[in-house]
Amino acid sequence: MAAEHQAVSLDTLYTAETPEGIALSLRPAGAAARALAYMVDLGVRFGLFMVVSIAAIPLGGMGQGLLLVSYFLLEWFYPVFFELTGSGATPGKRMFGLQVVMDSGLPVTPAAALTRNLLRAADFFPFLYASGLLTMLLRRDFKRMGDLAAGTLVVYADTVALHGQLPDAAATAPTRALAPREQAAIVAWAGRAKRLTPARLDELAQLARSVTPGQGGDATGRLLGVAQWLVGNRHDPRRTGERP
Amino acid sequence: MRVDAIAVELRPRPMWEATDLGVRLVQANARSIWRTWAPVYAVFAILALATVEISPWLPSFLIFWFKPWMDRSILFVLSRAVFGQPTRFADLWAERRSVWGGQLLTTLLWRRFSPWRAFTQPIYQLEGQRGKARRQRRKQLLRQQQGAAGGMHFAFANIEASLTFGALALALWFAPEQMRGDIFDWLVGRGEGSEVLASLCTASVYAGIVLLLEPFYVGAGFAMYLNRRVQLEAWDIEQEFRRAF
Repeated sequence: MAAEHQAVSLDTLYTAETPEGIALSLRPAGAAARALAYMVDLGVRFGLFMVVSIAAIPLGGMGQGLLLVSYFLLEWFYPVFFELTGSGATPGKRMFGLQVVMDSGLPVTPAAALTRNLLRAADFFPFLYASGLLTMLLRRDFKRMGDLAAGTLVVYADTVALHGQLPDAAATAPTRALAPREQAAIVAWAGRAKRLTPARLDELAQLARSVTPGQGGDATGRLLGVAQWLVGNRHDPRRTGERP
Repeated sequence: MRVDAIAVELRPRPMWEATDLGVRLVQANARSIWRTWAPVYAVFAILALATVEISPWLPSFLIFWFKPWMDRSILFVLSRAVFGQPTRFADLWAERRSVWGGQLLTTLLWRRFSPWRAFTQPIYQLEGQRGKARRQRRKQLLRQQQGAAGGMHFAFANIEASLTFGALALALWFAPEQMRGDIFDWLVGRGEGSEVLASLCTASVYAGIVLLLEPFYVGAGFAMYLNRRVQLEAWDIEQEFRRAF
Protein backbone atom coordinates (compact mmCIF):
# COMPACT_ATOMS: atom_id res chain seq x y z
CA MET A 1 0.00 0.00 0.00
CA ALA A 2 2.73 2.40 1.00
CA ALA A 3 4.75 1.60 -2.11
CA GLU A 4 1.69 2.19 -4.27
CA HIS A 5 1.23 5.64 -2.78
CA GLN A 6 4.88 6.34 -3.39
CA ALA A 7 4.53 5.50 -7.06
CA VAL A 8 1.69 7.91 -7.82
CA SER A 9 2.82 10.68 -5.52
CA LEU A 10 3.83 13.73 -7.50
CA ASP A 11 7.21 15.31 -6.88
CA THR A 12 9.77 17.40 -8.72
CA LEU A 13 12.72 15.10 -8.03
CA TYR A 14 15.17 14.20 -10.78
CA THR A 15 16.89 10.84 -10.43
CA ALA A 16 20.51 10.62 -11.46
CA GLU A 17 22.43 7.38 -11.41
CA THR A 18 26.07 7.39 -10.36
CA PRO A 19 28.61 5.08 -12.06
CA GLU A 20 28.39 2.88 -8.96
CA GLY A 21 24.70 2.33 -9.69
CA ILE A 22 23.44 4.47 -6.83
CA ALA A 23 20.33 6.50 -7.52
CA LEU A 24 20.68 10.11 -6.46
CA SER A 25 17.68 12.35 -6.05
CA LEU A 26 18.38 15.87 -7.25
CA ARG A 27 15.94 18.70 -6.72
CA PRO A 28 15.83 20.69 -9.97
CA ALA A 29 14.92 24.37 -9.89
CA GLY A 30 12.37 25.95 -12.19
CA ALA A 31 11.42 29.21 -13.79
CA ALA A 32 10.42 31.42 -10.84
CA ALA A 33 13.57 31.10 -8.74
CA ARG A 34 15.86 31.15 -11.76
CA ALA A 35 14.22 34.23 -13.29
CA LEU A 36 14.70 36.11 -10.02
CA ALA A 37 18.30 34.91 -9.71
CA TYR A 38 18.91 36.12 -13.25
CA MET A 39 17.56 39.56 -12.38
CA VAL A 40 19.87 39.80 -9.37
CA ASP A 41 22.82 38.84 -11.57
CA LEU A 42 21.77 41.42 -14.11
CA GLY A 43 21.92 44.04 -11.38
CA VAL A 44 25.34 42.85 -10.21
CA ARG A 45 26.67 42.88 -13.76
CA PHE A 46 25.29 46.35 -14.33
CA GLY A 47 26.97 47.53 -11.12
CA LEU A 48 30.31 46.07 -12.18
CA PHE A 49 29.99 47.67 -15.59
CA MET A 50 29.32 51.06 -13.97
CA VAL A 51 32.46 50.70 -11.87
CA VAL A 52 34.52 49.84 -14.96
CA SER A 53 33.00 52.80 -16.83
CA ILE A 54 33.95 55.25 -14.13
CA ALA A 55 37.51 53.97 -14.24
CA ALA A 56 37.74 53.73 -18.04
CA ILE A 57 36.07 56.90 -19.31
CA PRO A 58 38.97 59.25 -18.41
CA LEU A 59 41.28 57.04 -20.52
CA GLY A 60 39.74 58.25 -23.77
CA GLY A 61 39.88 55.94 -26.78
CA MET A 62 41.65 53.15 -24.96
CA GLY A 63 39.05 53.44 -22.22
CA GLN A 64 36.30 52.88 -24.74
CA GLY A 65 38.06 49.79 -25.97
CA LEU A 66 38.42 48.53 -22.40
CA LEU A 67 34.75 49.23 -21.82
CA LEU A 68 33.73 47.13 -24.80
CA VAL A 69 36.03 44.29 -23.76
CA SER A 70 34.68 44.36 -20.22
CA TYR A 71 31.12 44.37 -21.54
CA PHE A 72 31.89 41.31 -23.62
CA LEU A 73 33.51 39.53 -20.67
CA LEU A 74 30.67 40.40 -18.29
CA GLU A 75 28.03 39.26 -20.75
CA TRP A 76 29.57 35.91 -21.60
CA PHE A 77 31.98 34.92 -18.86
CA TYR A 78 30.49 36.29 -15.67
CA PRO A 79 28.29 33.18 -15.19
CA VAL A 80 31.01 30.81 -16.40
CA PHE A 81 33.46 32.22 -13.87
CA PHE A 82 31.11 31.88 -10.92
CA GLU A 83 29.76 28.48 -11.92
CA LEU A 84 33.29 27.09 -11.91
CA THR A 85 34.03 28.32 -8.40
CA GLY A 86 33.34 26.05 -5.47
CA SER A 87 29.68 26.83 -4.96
CA GLY A 88 28.78 26.37 -8.63
CA ALA A 89 26.54 29.42 -8.53
CA THR A 90 26.52 33.08 -9.52
CA PRO A 91 25.74 35.54 -6.69
CA GLY A 92 22.12 35.68 -7.82
CA LYS A 93 21.79 31.90 -7.82
CA ARG A 94 23.42 31.69 -4.40
CA MET A 95 20.89 34.17 -3.07
CA PHE A 96 18.06 31.83 -4.05
CA GLY A 97 19.85 28.70 -2.86
CA LEU A 98 20.57 27.41 -6.37
CA GLN A 99 23.54 25.59 -7.80
CA VAL A 100 24.58 24.35 -11.24
CA VAL A 101 25.60 20.68 -11.43
CA MET A 102 25.98 18.11 -14.18
CA ASP A 103 22.82 16.03 -14.56
CA SER A 104 24.80 13.11 -13.14
CA GLY A 105 25.03 15.05 -9.89
CA LEU A 106 28.75 15.79 -10.35
CA PRO A 107 30.21 19.31 -10.21
CA VAL A 108 29.82 21.25 -13.44
CA THR A 109 32.76 20.95 -15.88
CA PRO A 110 34.36 23.95 -17.65
CA ALA A 111 33.13 22.75 -21.06
CA ALA A 112 29.57 22.38 -19.80
CA ALA A 113 29.59 25.77 -18.08
CA LEU A 114 30.78 27.37 -21.31
CA THR A 115 28.21 25.52 -23.44
CA ARG A 116 25.24 26.34 -21.25
CA ASN A 117 26.16 30.00 -21.14
CA LEU A 118 26.95 30.40 -24.83
CA LEU A 119 23.54 28.88 -25.58
CA ARG A 120 21.86 31.62 -23.61
CA ALA A 121 21.55 33.21 -27.05
CA ALA A 122 19.20 30.38 -28.06
CA ASP A 123 17.23 30.68 -24.85
CA PHE A 124 16.97 34.44 -25.34
CA PHE A 125 15.24 33.96 -28.69
CA PRO A 126 12.97 35.61 -29.77
CA PHE A 127 13.21 38.19 -27.02
CA LEU A 128 13.86 38.36 -23.25
CA TYR A 129 14.52 34.62 -22.76
CA ALA A 130 11.01 33.70 -23.90
CA SER A 131 12.02 30.29 -25.26
CA GLY A 132 14.18 29.47 -22.24
CA LEU A 133 11.31 30.27 -19.90
CA LEU A 134 8.90 28.26 -22.00
CA THR A 135 11.07 25.13 -21.89
CA MET A 136 11.50 25.58 -18.14
CA LEU A 137 7.73 25.65 -17.71
CA LEU A 138 7.02 22.71 -19.98
CA ARG A 139 9.77 20.27 -19.04
CA ARG A 140 9.65 18.04 -16.00
CA ASP A 141 13.30 18.70 -15.13
CA PHE A 142 12.95 22.45 -15.78
CA LYS A 143 15.96 22.53 -18.13
CA ARG A 144 16.45 25.35 -20.56
CA MET A 145 18.07 24.70 -23.93
CA GLY A 146 21.54 25.54 -22.66
CA ASP A 147 21.11 22.92 -19.94
CA LEU A 148 19.96 20.35 -22.46
CA ALA A 149 22.98 20.92 -24.68
CA ALA A 150 25.49 20.95 -21.83
CA GLY A 151 23.89 18.15 -19.79
CA THR A 152 23.62 20.36 -16.75
CA LEU A 153 20.91 20.86 -14.18
CA VAL A 154 20.17 23.77 -11.86
CA VAL A 155 19.34 22.34 -8.45
CA TYR A 156 18.49 23.56 -4.98
CA ALA A 157 21.52 23.40 -2.75
CA ASP A 158 19.67 24.50 0.39
CA THR A 159 17.55 22.16 2.42
CA VAL A 160 15.02 23.14 5.05
CA ALA A 161 15.10 21.52 8.44
CA LEU A 162 11.89 21.91 10.36
CA HIS A 163 12.86 19.50 13.12
CA GLY A 164 14.71 20.47 16.26
CA GLN A 165 15.91 18.48 19.21
CA LEU A 166 13.77 15.65 20.48
CA PRO A 167 11.96 16.52 23.72
CA ASP A 168 12.91 14.48 26.78
CA ALA A 169 10.82 11.44 27.51
CA ALA A 170 11.24 8.07 29.13
CA ALA A 171 12.28 5.63 26.43
CA THR A 172 9.70 2.96 25.69
CA ALA A 173 9.95 0.13 23.22
CA PRO A 174 7.28 0.02 20.51
CA THR A 175 4.79 -2.84 20.57
CA ARG A 176 6.05 -4.28 17.31
CA ALA A 177 9.09 -4.10 15.06
CA LEU A 178 8.92 -0.94 12.95
CA ALA A 179 9.87 -0.56 9.29
CA PRO A 180 12.61 2.02 8.61
CA ARG A 181 10.06 4.36 7.10
CA GLU A 182 7.84 4.19 10.17
CA GLN A 183 10.83 4.82 12.42
CA ALA A 184 11.81 7.87 10.37
CA ALA A 185 8.26 9.21 10.53
CA ILE A 186 8.09 8.89 14.32
CA VAL A 187 11.47 10.56 14.85
CA ALA A 188 10.51 13.34 12.43
CA TRP A 189 7.27 13.83 14.34
CA ALA A 190 9.11 14.12 17.66
CA GLY A 191 11.54 16.61 16.14
CA ARG A 192 8.67 18.91 15.24
CA ALA A 193 7.39 19.02 18.82
CA LYS A 194 8.54 22.59 19.42
CA ARG A 195 6.99 23.94 16.21
CA LEU A 196 3.52 22.50 16.61
CA THR A 197 0.78 23.30 19.06
CA PRO A 198 0.36 20.57 21.72
CA ALA A 199 -3.11 19.86 20.36
CA ARG A 200 -1.83 19.27 16.85
CA LEU A 201 1.07 17.17 18.16
CA ASP A 202 -1.36 14.99 20.04
CA GLU A 203 -3.69 14.72 17.07
CA LEU A 204 -0.80 13.29 15.06
CA ALA A 205 0.27 11.01 17.92
CA GLN A 206 -3.22 9.50 17.95
CA LEU A 207 -2.61 8.26 14.40
CA ALA A 208 0.28 6.12 15.62
CA ARG A 209 -1.57 4.66 18.60
CA SER A 210 -1.06 1.13 17.36
CA VAL A 211 2.68 1.16 18.07
CA THR A 212 2.66 2.66 21.56
CA PRO A 213 2.26 0.30 24.51
CA GLY A 214 -0.71 0.66 26.81
CA GLN A 215 -4.14 2.10 26.23
CA GLY A 216 -5.54 5.55 26.89
CA GLY A 217 -3.76 8.38 28.60
CA ASP A 218 -1.09 10.51 27.07
CA ALA A 219 -0.53 9.55 23.42
CA THR A 220 2.06 12.29 22.87
CA GLY A 221 4.16 11.24 25.87
CA ARG A 222 4.13 7.59 24.88
CA LEU A 223 5.09 8.27 21.28
CA LEU A 224 7.86 10.63 22.38
CA GLY A 225 9.16 7.73 24.46
CA VAL A 226 9.14 5.49 21.40
CA ALA A 227 11.03 8.20 19.46
CA GLN A 228 13.68 8.35 22.21
CA TRP A 229 13.95 4.58 22.13
CA LEU A 230 14.37 4.64 18.35
CA VAL A 231 17.23 7.14 18.43
CA GLY A 232 18.97 4.94 20.94
CA ASN A 233 18.44 6.71 24.30
CA ARG A 234 17.25 3.48 25.81
CA HIS A 235 17.40 4.45 29.42
CA ASP A 236 15.42 7.06 31.27
CA PRO A 237 17.33 10.37 31.29
CA ARG A 238 15.34 11.57 34.28
CA ARG A 239 16.38 8.59 36.37
CA THR A 240 20.06 8.42 35.54
CA GLY A 241 20.47 12.16 35.04
CA GLU A 242 22.92 11.76 32.17
CA ARG A 243 22.63 12.77 28.53
CA PRO A 244 24.16 10.40 26.01
CA MET B 1 -9.79 16.84 4.53
CA ARG B 2 -8.00 13.58 4.00
CA VAL B 3 -4.31 14.32 4.04
CA ASP B 4 -3.40 10.75 3.15
CA ALA B 5 -5.34 11.05 -0.09
CA ILE B 6 -3.12 13.88 -1.29
CA ALA B 7 -1.40 12.69 -4.44
CA VAL B 8 1.50 15.10 -4.03
CA GLU B 9 4.63 14.27 -2.09
CA LEU B 10 4.67 16.55 0.93
CA ARG B 11 8.06 17.29 2.42
CA PRO B 12 9.57 20.44 3.83
CA ARG B 13 10.74 22.49 0.87
CA PRO B 14 12.24 25.93 0.49
CA MET B 15 9.42 28.18 -0.73
CA TRP B 16 11.09 28.51 -4.14
CA GLU B 17 11.11 24.77 -4.57
CA ALA B 18 7.42 24.72 -3.72
CA THR B 19 6.69 26.98 -6.69
CA ASP B 20 8.27 24.34 -8.90
CA LEU B 21 6.05 21.68 -7.38
CA GLY B 22 3.13 23.85 -8.49
CA VAL B 23 4.50 23.96 -12.03
CA ARG B 24 4.88 20.19 -11.95
CA LEU B 25 1.31 19.79 -10.67
CA VAL B 26 0.03 21.83 -13.60
CA GLN B 27 2.13 19.82 -16.07
CA ALA B 28 0.80 16.54 -14.70
CA ASN B 29 -2.83 17.73 -14.80
CA ALA B 30 -2.68 19.75 -18.00
CA ARG B 31 -5.65 17.97 -19.56
CA SER B 32 -7.97 18.61 -16.63
CA ILE B 33 -6.89 22.21 -16.32
CA TRP B 34 -7.14 23.38 -19.87
CA ARG B 35 -10.24 21.46 -20.83
CA THR B 36 -12.02 22.98 -17.85
CA TRP B 37 -10.56 26.43 -17.85
CA ALA B 38 -10.13 27.17 -21.54
CA PRO B 39 -13.89 27.35 -22.35
CA VAL B 40 -14.55 29.77 -19.48
CA TYR B 41 -11.59 31.84 -20.45
CA ALA B 42 -12.40 31.77 -24.17
CA VAL B 43 -15.88 33.17 -23.58
CA PHE B 44 -14.50 35.88 -21.38
CA ALA B 45 -11.62 36.70 -23.74
CA ILE B 46 -13.95 37.04 -26.74
CA LEU B 47 -16.21 39.38 -24.78
CA ALA B 48 -13.16 41.37 -23.70
CA LEU B 49 -11.81 41.56 -27.25
CA ALA B 50 -15.20 42.83 -28.43
CA THR B 51 -14.76 45.94 -26.31
CA VAL B 52 -12.02 47.11 -28.66
CA GLU B 53 -14.69 49.21 -30.35
CA ILE B 54 -15.03 51.28 -27.19
CA SER B 55 -11.35 51.89 -26.66
CA PRO B 56 -8.20 50.23 -28.06
CA TRP B 57 -6.64 49.60 -24.66
CA LEU B 58 -9.76 48.10 -23.06
CA PRO B 59 -9.45 44.40 -24.09
CA SER B 60 -6.00 43.87 -22.56
CA PHE B 61 -7.02 45.84 -19.49
CA LEU B 62 -10.14 43.74 -18.93
CA ILE B 63 -8.24 40.49 -19.30
CA PHE B 64 -5.65 41.75 -16.85
CA TRP B 65 -8.26 42.99 -14.39
CA PHE B 66 -10.34 39.81 -14.35
CA LYS B 67 -7.42 37.43 -13.85
CA PRO B 68 -8.11 36.92 -10.11
CA TRP B 69 -11.67 35.96 -10.96
CA MET B 70 -10.54 33.49 -13.61
CA ASP B 71 -7.91 32.08 -11.26
CA ARG B 72 -10.75 30.73 -9.16
CA SER B 73 -11.69 28.24 -11.88
CA ILE B 74 -8.06 27.10 -12.10
CA LEU B 75 -7.73 26.67 -8.35
CA PHE B 76 -10.94 24.65 -8.35
CA VAL B 77 -9.31 22.18 -10.76
CA LEU B 78 -5.99 22.17 -8.90
CA SER B 79 -7.64 21.59 -5.52
CA ARG B 80 -9.10 18.40 -6.97
CA ALA B 81 -5.91 17.52 -8.79
CA VAL B 82 -3.89 17.32 -5.55
CA PHE B 83 -6.19 14.47 -4.58
CA GLY B 84 -5.58 12.82 -7.93
CA GLN B 85 -9.08 13.64 -9.17
CA PRO B 86 -9.48 14.62 -12.83
CA THR B 87 -11.90 17.44 -13.60
CA ARG B 88 -14.28 17.97 -16.49
CA PHE B 89 -16.11 21.10 -17.42
CA ALA B 90 -19.32 19.60 -16.03
CA ASP B 91 -17.73 19.46 -12.56
CA LEU B 92 -16.94 23.15 -12.70
CA TRP B 93 -20.41 23.91 -14.00
CA ALA B 94 -21.95 22.07 -11.06
CA GLU B 95 -19.99 24.29 -8.68
CA ARG B 96 -20.37 27.46 -10.71
CA ARG B 97 -22.16 29.39 -7.98
CA SER B 98 -19.38 29.13 -5.43
CA VAL B 99 -16.46 29.24 -7.89
CA TRP B 100 -17.63 32.07 -10.12
CA GLY B 101 -20.02 33.90 -7.84
CA GLY B 102 -18.23 33.67 -4.50
CA GLN B 103 -16.46 36.77 -3.13
CA LEU B 104 -16.96 38.53 -6.44
CA LEU B 105 -16.45 42.09 -5.24
CA THR B 106 -13.39 41.54 -3.09
CA THR B 107 -11.78 39.44 -5.82
CA LEU B 108 -12.23 42.21 -8.36
CA LEU B 109 -11.51 45.18 -6.09
CA TRP B 110 -8.81 45.24 -3.46
CA ARG B 111 -7.63 41.65 -3.81
CA ARG B 112 -6.79 42.48 -7.42
CA PHE B 113 -3.88 44.54 -6.09
CA SER B 114 -2.53 41.97 -3.66
CA PRO B 115 1.05 41.06 -4.59
CA TRP B 116 0.58 37.58 -3.09
CA ARG B 117 -2.90 36.79 -4.25
CA ALA B 118 -2.00 33.32 -5.58
CA PHE B 119 -0.59 32.38 -2.18
CA THR B 120 -3.60 33.60 -0.18
CA GLN B 121 -6.27 32.57 -2.68
CA PRO B 122 -6.66 29.05 -1.22
CA ILE B 123 -7.57 30.58 2.15
CA TYR B 124 -10.42 32.51 0.61
CA GLN B 125 -11.61 29.89 -1.80
CA LEU B 126 -10.98 26.58 -0.04
CA GLU B 127 -10.83 27.05 3.71
CA GLY B 128 -14.28 28.59 4.09
CA GLN B 129 -13.62 30.78 7.13
CA ARG B 130 -15.14 34.21 7.45
CA GLY B 131 -14.52 37.55 9.08
CA LYS B 132 -11.99 37.73 11.86
CA ALA B 133 -11.00 34.06 11.72
CA ARG B 134 -10.10 34.44 8.07
CA ARG B 135 -8.08 37.59 8.63
CA GLN B 136 -6.12 35.87 11.38
CA ARG B 137 -5.57 32.84 9.22
CA ARG B 138 -4.26 35.01 6.40
CA LYS B 139 -1.92 36.81 8.77
CA GLN B 140 -0.60 33.52 10.12
CA LEU B 141 0.07 32.10 6.68
CA LEU B 142 1.74 35.25 5.42
CA ARG B 143 4.02 35.69 8.43
CA GLN B 144 7.59 35.96 7.12
CA GLN B 145 6.40 34.71 3.74
CA GLN B 146 5.67 38.05 2.07
CA GLY B 147 9.09 38.07 0.46
CA ALA B 148 8.71 34.65 -1.12
CA ALA B 149 5.07 35.13 -2.11
CA GLY B 150 5.65 38.60 -3.52
CA GLY B 151 8.84 37.43 -5.25
CA MET B 152 6.97 34.60 -6.94
CA HIS B 153 4.32 37.07 -8.12
CA PHE B 154 7.02 39.40 -9.43
CA ALA B 155 8.77 36.53 -11.22
CA PHE B 156 5.59 35.42 -12.96
CA ALA B 157 4.70 38.99 -13.90
CA ASN B 158 8.08 39.17 -15.61
CA ILE B 159 7.67 35.80 -17.26
CA GLU B 160 4.33 36.96 -18.61
CA ALA B 161 5.91 40.12 -20.00
CA SER B 162 8.78 38.15 -21.47
CA LEU B 163 6.51 35.67 -23.22
CA THR B 164 4.20 38.41 -24.53
CA PHE B 165 7.01 40.52 -25.92
CA GLY B 166 8.69 37.34 -27.17
CA ALA B 167 5.59 36.35 -29.13
CA LEU B 168 5.30 39.84 -30.62
CA ALA B 169 9.01 39.86 -31.43
CA LEU B 170 8.55 36.56 -33.25
CA ALA B 171 6.27 38.36 -35.70
CA LEU B 172 9.06 40.84 -36.36
CA TRP B 173 11.63 38.07 -36.81
CA PHE B 174 9.52 36.46 -39.51
CA ALA B 175 8.62 39.71 -41.25
CA PRO B 176 10.52 40.66 -44.42
CA GLU B 177 13.46 42.88 -43.59
CA GLN B 178 12.18 46.07 -45.22
CA MET B 179 8.73 45.78 -43.61
CA ARG B 180 9.95 45.32 -40.05
CA GLY B 181 9.86 49.00 -39.13
CA ASP B 182 6.35 49.42 -40.49
CA ILE B 183 5.06 46.36 -38.64
CA PHE B 184 6.61 47.57 -35.42
CA ASP B 185 5.01 50.98 -35.81
CA TRP B 186 1.70 49.35 -36.60
CA LEU B 187 1.84 47.12 -33.50
CA VAL B 188 2.49 50.03 -31.17
CA GLY B 189 -0.36 51.96 -32.82
CA ARG B 190 1.73 54.57 -34.62
CA GLY B 191 1.54 53.27 -38.15
CA GLU B 192 -0.90 53.58 -40.98
CA GLY B 193 -3.95 51.39 -41.10
CA SER B 194 -6.51 50.47 -38.52
CA GLU B 195 -5.60 51.09 -34.90
CA VAL B 196 -8.43 48.81 -33.85
CA LEU B 197 -6.94 45.90 -35.76
CA ALA B 198 -3.48 46.46 -34.26
CA SER B 199 -4.90 46.61 -30.76
CA LEU B 200 -6.93 43.48 -31.43
CA CYS B 201 -3.76 41.76 -32.56
CA THR B 202 -1.67 42.62 -29.48
CA ALA B 203 -4.59 41.91 -27.15
CA SER B 204 -5.05 38.45 -28.70
CA VAL B 205 -1.38 37.68 -28.21
CA TYR B 206 -1.63 38.78 -24.59
CA ALA B 207 -4.80 36.72 -24.16
CA GLY B 208 -3.00 33.67 -25.54
CA ILE B 209 -0.08 34.09 -23.16
CA VAL B 210 -2.45 34.41 -20.20
CA LEU B 211 -4.22 31.25 -21.31
CA LEU B 212 -0.91 29.43 -21.26
CA LEU B 213 0.71 30.95 -18.18
CA GLU B 214 -2.03 31.65 -15.66
CA PRO B 215 -2.43 28.03 -14.47
CA PHE B 216 1.30 27.89 -13.70
CA TYR B 217 1.05 31.02 -11.60
CA VAL B 218 -1.97 29.76 -9.67
CA GLY B 219 -0.31 26.36 -9.28
CA ALA B 220 2.86 27.90 -7.90
CA GLY B 221 0.90 29.89 -5.33
CA PHE B 222 -1.15 26.86 -4.36
CA ALA B 223 1.95 24.71 -3.86
CA MET B 224 3.48 27.44 -1.69
CA TYR B 225 0.30 27.37 0.35
CA LEU B 226 0.60 23.59 0.76
CA ASN B 227 4.23 24.00 1.77
CA ARG B 228 3.21 26.55 4.36
CA ARG B 229 0.81 24.03 5.83
CA VAL B 230 3.66 21.54 6.02
CA GLN B 231 5.57 24.14 8.04
CA LEU B 232 2.69 25.13 10.29
CA GLU B 233 0.74 21.93 10.69
CA ALA B 234 3.19 19.15 9.76
CA TRP B 235 1.05 17.84 6.92
CA ASP B 236 4.02 15.85 5.68
CA ILE B 237 4.15 13.96 9.01
CA GLU B 238 0.42 13.35 8.87
CA GLN B 239 0.79 12.01 5.33
CA GLU B 240 3.55 9.64 6.45
CA PHE B 241 1.67 8.52 9.56
CA ARG B 242 -1.53 7.82 7.68
CA ARG B 243 0.33 5.82 5.07
CA ALA B 244 2.43 3.90 7.56
CA PHE B 245 0.02 3.09 10.38
